[in-house]
Amino acid sequence: MITFDISQWRAWAPGLQTPDQWQRWAVGETVSAEADAAPDVSFLPALQRRRLSHLARMAFAVGWPLAEGLQALPLVFVSRHGETPRTFSILCELAEGQPLSPTQFSLSVHNAVIGLWSIMRGETSEMTALAAAGDGFEQGLLEAAGLLHDGAAAVLLIVAEEQPPEAYRPRIDDVPFAYALGLLITPGEQWQLRPSAAPASAVSGQTTPHALSWLRASLTRQATLTHTWKQRTWTWQRQP
Amino acid sequence: MSEAQQDLNRDLKQLIIDALGLEDISVHDIDDQQTLFGEGLGLDSVDALELGLAIQKRYGIKIDADAKDTRSHFANVASLAAFVTARQAA
Repeated sequence: MITFDISQWRAWAPGLQTPDQWQRWAVGETVSAEADAAPDVSFLPALQRRRLSHLARMAFAVGWPLAEGLQALPLVFVSRHGETPRTFSILCELAEGQPLSPTQFSLSVHNAVIGLWSIMRGETSEMTALAAAGDGFEQGLLEAAGLLHDGAAAVLLIVAEEQPPEAYRPRIDDVPFAYALGLLITPGEQWQLRPSAAPASAVSGQTTPHALSWLRASLTRQATLTHTWKQRTWTWQRQP
Repeated sequence: MSEAQQDLNRDLKQLIIDALGLEDISVHDIDDQQTLFGEGLGLDSVDALELGLAIQKRYGIKIDADAKDTRSHFANVASLAAFVTARQAA
């Protein structure tokens, strides 16, 4: 079992950016969505911003305000599918026998986002990029708890998923829309997270991305939440 | 400068903007003599590779990344234009 506090959070999805919009979403209100709205990364100079994919822009949009004013902040970046649009575009160039774009190639790897984060913030703390399966959010928290145990004063956790290119959609069923969630994790007892073997009757899978199901449960002050992925069940508990 | 040279300079500037995603500037913001890498426009080594590839594709010429004069060809738009013109004539 691990325990931790969540001292701040930010989330991004099309039409959902401010904490107030997410609060209304959590209680089931229809939030008027500008579906094509892009994550705001205008805090970065244009020369740096131009290389950021939509995935990276979402990650920066949720992570940047949380890192504000903090020195030496380790980062755990979680994405199950990663830069699928870049990968697909590179594979298409390969299939056509075209030379690969050096920019696309260098930014297609899974740790490209944390690399850019490190360069743009001048941040040299530990950073990890994880691609777990359907419970990457919880795996990321385990990683963050490890960093806290190792002495970090706070850890930034970012979960981000990009809508895959059309060709991948039959095989990717857990990203109905692009989204990102950022949590500033600090030592404490506010939250407990416990992994256990899933009961035989448990059903994995969900329609809402799990990180957002968790956000809804958190915003509606739900005391417990369970999430089963294959053989693992994660039990979340919030101290009253 | 001849009209053909001016056209080539403008085309190269547009290529730089498009290939490198410089969304906030236009061809008028890049001077023919402005340093492209490091200082000046502030491009980096990944940009150099990307621009080299774009020029090879657009003008059908070969660029040897290891040749010692490649760096001077990429100094600014004017030197790039002279390089492209020389290669196309060869």
